[in-house]
Amino acid sequence: MTNINDPWPDDDVTRTLNDLPEVDPPATLAQDVMATIASRAAARTTYPPATSNKRGATMAKKVLWIVAATAALALIAMRLIGYPPVEKGTEATIGAAQRYQAQQVSNADVKTEDAQLQAFLQSDLFRQLATDKVAQQALKNKDFQKALQDASVRAALVSADARFAIAAAKKVASDATLVTSDAFRAALDAHAALKVAFESSPALRAALVSPDVVAAMSNASLGAVLARPDIAMMISQDAAAAKVLEAAQVQMDAAAVRYK
Amino acid sequence: MDDSGDAALIARCLGGQQDAYEAIVTRYQRGLFNVAFRMLGNYEDARDATQNAFVKAYEHLNTFDPDQRFFSWLFRILKNECLNVLRARRPSQPVSLDMPSARGADPVEVRERQRAVQTALLSLSTEYREVVVLRHYTDLSYDEIAAALGIPATKVKSRLYTARQQLGELLMDWRVAR
Repeated sequence: MTNINDPWPDDDVTRTLNDLPEVDPPATLAQDVMATIASRAAARTTYPPATSNKRGATMAKKVLWIVAATAALALIAMRLIGYPPVEKGTEATIGAAQRYQAQQVSNADVKTEDAQLQAFLQSDLFRQLATDKVAQQALKNKDFQKALQDASVRAALVSADARFAIAAAKKVASDATLVTSDAFRAALDAHAALKVAFESSPALRAALVSPDVVAAMSNASLGAVLARPDIAMMISQDAAAAKVLEAAQVQMDAAAVRYK
Repeated sequence: MDDSGDAALIARCLGGQQDAYEAIVTRYQRGLFNVAFRMLGNYEDARDATQNAFVKAYEHLNTFDPDQRFFSWLFRILKNECLNVLRARRPSQPVSLDMPSARGADPVEVRERQRAVQTALLSLSTEYREVVVLRHYTDLSYDEIAAALGIPATKVKSRLYTARQQLGELLMDWRVAR
């Protein structure tokens, strides 16, 4: 193989090196590679990685037994001391049960629990998110927030493969044409849940026009949030998203002051 | 190596279409295998290193930065595989120099010269050998070699200069006359 950019094109060493012939690779190399990839993928499916956290599991069992035993003792004690007291006149009352007939829960009824939000704001997940402007930009997108209220979207975006497929399709298509590109179509064909979500959610289709949202698809911290449908649901609510973004900004400002 | 269409193939792979990766392997196997062969001097070792590099590249394809050249990224993975092979060789273990002829039969003297060149390459330290191999047996530019090795282009040139000086001495008797 000759090299046209060689600075010593005519010297003996160059000619001697270039005199070595190209060697044909093994004829079955490509097939061997693909077979190895397939067998490794099959092994991962058949044998999930073993957890080495045996000590943790044993400890968790012990804690569970202790909690159960404590609860049983508390119930026995309450029974013995006659708690809770029964009101006079209500003993042995027989009547039609007045059951609460709940309406089906709609998205508007979902109120973010403060406790859940507080727990999230104390978590490593939030600390990761708080240092990541790309993820925060995506979460500011109203279409994306609305899309996350849809269970099919949350289910589809739990998959890292699906998210990476969106990001990869973006690399070969401009932002405006991403959702109509062949690469994106291929990604949908390869990920059934994503296809369902994309076809059923106008909000997701609108969100994927935004470069911020698409850029965040291969982002680790947003990925960690989307991998938790409960957190994704919480963050899809305006109030919770605003609090998370505000807290993230406070952390970033504090970090900026520290490093000044 | 023409790398047009790599991005589309990679996107298809990341989208779950495994067959697209076979096209990538087919496209790069010759270049990568020849680099491995020149780095290791042994056909079987080169095959194993190349195969492992392609498999690892597939498993980490989502970390590939499309702003880089795909071959450079593949080379970095291959280099680690080659280093693993070289580390696993015991210092006293002789390297069996395979010199399969690419096409047709070569006269004995030509084959002996090729064997001497390969031996001289293997006697270089890894950091000198890799610049010579990338410069002479791939079509990467200095900047691309620098990116693949993670060193400045000036360093590539100085290493290449020293490596060629050493090769010049080692191949004194075998130089191809003008």
